[in-house]
Amino acid sequence: MSEKRVVVLGAGPSGLAVAACLRRRGLNPTILERSEAVGSTWRNHYRRLHLHTVKEHSALPGLGWPEQVPTYPARQDVVDYLEAYAAKFELLPRFGEEVTRVRREGDAWELTHTSGSTRADAVVVCTGYNRVPHEPTWPGEEGFTGAILHASKYLDGSPFRGKRALVVGAGNTGAEIALDLWEHGASSVELCIRGPVHVVPRDLLGLPAQITSLRIMQHLPPKLADKITLSLLRFVVGDLSRWGIRRPKLGPVSQVLREKQIPLIDVGTVALIRQGKIVVIPGIERFDAEGVHTVDGAAHPVDVVILATGYRAGIAAFLEGSEGLLDERGYPTVFGAEAAPGLFFVGFRNPLTGQIHDIAREAERVAAAIAGGGR
Amino acid sequence: MTLFDHWHPVALSRELRRRRPLKVTLAGADVVLFRDGPRLGALDNTCPHRGFPLHRGRVDAGQLVCPYHGWRWATDGRGQAPGTPTARPCARAWEAVERHGLLWIRRAGSDMPFPFVDISGHGRVTTLRRRVQAPLEVVLDNFTEVEHTPPVHAFLGYPLERMAEVECATTITDDAVTVFNRGPQRRLPAPIRGVFQIPREADFVDAWTTRFSPVHTIYDQYFLVRGSDERRGPALRIAVFYTPVGPALTDLIVLAYASSARWRRPLLEAIRFPMTRLLVRIEVGRDARLLDAMEAPPVVLKGRALGRFDKALTASRRHIARIYRGEGEATGG
Repeated sequence: MSEKRVVVLGAGPSGLAVAACLRRRGLNPTILERSEAVGSTWRNHYRRLHLHTVKEHSALPGLGWPEQVPTYPARQDVVDYLEAYAAKFELLPRFGEEVTRVRREGDAWELTHTSGSTRADAVVVCTGYNRVPHEPTWPGEEGFTGAILHASKYLDGSPFRGKRALVVGAGNTGAEIALDLWEHGASSVELCIRGPVHVVPRDLLGLPAQITSLRIMQHLPPKLADKITLSLLRFVVGDLSRWGIRRPKLGPVSQVLREKQIPLIDVGTVALIRQGKIVVIPGIERFDAEGVHTVDGAAHPVDVVILATGYRAGIAAFLEGSEGLLDERGYPTVFGAEAAPGLFFVGFRNPLTGQIHDIAREAERVAAAIAGGGR
Repeated sequence: MTLFDHWHPVALSRELRRRRPLKVTLAGADVVLFRDGPRLGALDNTCPHRGFPLHRGRVDAGQLVCPYHGWRWATDGRGQAPGTPTARPCARAWEAVERHGLLWIRRAGSDMPFPFVDISGHGRVTTLRRRVQAPLEVVLDNFTEVEHTPPVHAFLGYPLERMAEVECATTITDDAVTVFNRGPQRRLPAPIRGVFQIPREADFVDAWTTRFSPVHTIYDQYFLVRGSDERRGPALRIAVFYTPVGPALTDLIVLAYASSARWRRPLLEAIRFPMTRLLVRIEVGRDARLLDAMEAPPVVLKGRALGRFDKALTASRRHIARIYRGEGEATGG
């Protein structure tokens, strides 16, 4: 029997991990990567970004982190690690290959990409959580005289020194960019947080939040885990409603499980909010020439708006017949197993225990399923 | 631009109590710090009314109350005169922030960036402030060369008889001066080697970058197996800020971190963190005593006999003049 033809889409953490696991099982997958290097998302993230999870629980299968890398690896450490990973497992992605169509033909998959087309018995989609920037729009935006920039284009705050900046989005990125803008001397920094959100310090009583959730919270019933976490947060973070941050009714653990929403991992933004250096404002209703108007009717004149409004997976754009496989935001619903005959997804989940931790486990399972022929 | 435009750390967080104001001095300017909940207030220390020193007052409901006539001042400088409710007096406020366990001020209205200290994934070892009797430049000189480490220091650094083997590379850019030193680590007592997992034959790397808004140096210190690139033991990351108090008086403000995480090896770290704290305090204390002992230290380097370890010093002088003090820059705008 001829060898199984496997194609991995993407050479980020997920694609590299799956490919390495496949190689260890004697397969030789083709990796198609649209950019010119491995880990392109990590290369292009804003400069000060670190993994919010600890390196001990953020390793891909078969390669630990170097000793000298700190607990939370920096962006460049992640890029270096992915390069070392590709080198160790002799993974040679085909760069500059954007996949435009993936469709089922008979008992195989037909892929159309930059340089031609490829047939495969199995396809592993590892195009990542952050493939397509999500950019919401508001009425009046075209008349706004300032600049609007998605977080994917933000490197650091130096261009915005002396400017009035507004960051939209209550995720980790939004919070950290607000902090970065303040540090770089923006004359005012506002952070638009529309709904309620849980704020969890990256380190809770000296223990990384990821360790706490991996070692304790994961093993408790969600209701109990919520109770413990909430009383801890009440003690450590306190009530932030005075500063415009409301806590959701659902506990942080249940929220991850049920609504797939991870809490805001704070790396120092909250301290600046409490000191009045960063001002939280409610949802945006519309833009005018000067800035934005929030739902409470207040006007906020600003020079620049940074959209930290997240990304979409953008899978439907190239995968034919993906309707039943994706949720309403376009993310796959089946993980670590065959989603359709010969079709797998890795790296589209963001659990409390850490994305790379999850990728490592999924990659092993997917590789085993492919190599074992449905074992 | 003046040096007041830069963010300076002027005190440790723990030095400022909830109800008692604190007087600090930045380059001759007396400033009073006080707290309003999580907010930090910083005002010129002289009451705008009749000039009483405000640091002798008390904090009530987040406002600083002058003990002379009971006028009250909020963190933004807005005042109230109890005897004249319609009056709207105003004190000169500084911008103030509390970060990394330190209290920082800059001139209100300045847009200078806040110094970036990458301490992600590091555990704090200690914060300390030590006042030394020397001008800022002379203090910086001491903290940006390793030639003094054999005679002055007790633990970290190189043995005098092998100083010639120490590699020293200086890189000067537009806004920074970077120095990389690597050489044989001096003999350390066995218990210290054990706790820090340093091999008997180790190389010590002492690498740092000095930036000038405000003047501060960030050090990375770690050990390697002699002659190889294999790291051993935890790395230290230490930020030293040089805050000028007066013409010949400088505050050393030190933030020390270790790359090891307390939770990973709790027992070992329970010994290692306090020991590191002690080492840092001893070594900074030795630097400070040495500087105190320098009588009439020379601020001007011109005409002095300088060695290969002193390259950073002359470059730093130029950067201090241009970036920190704003000398030679066009006025206006």
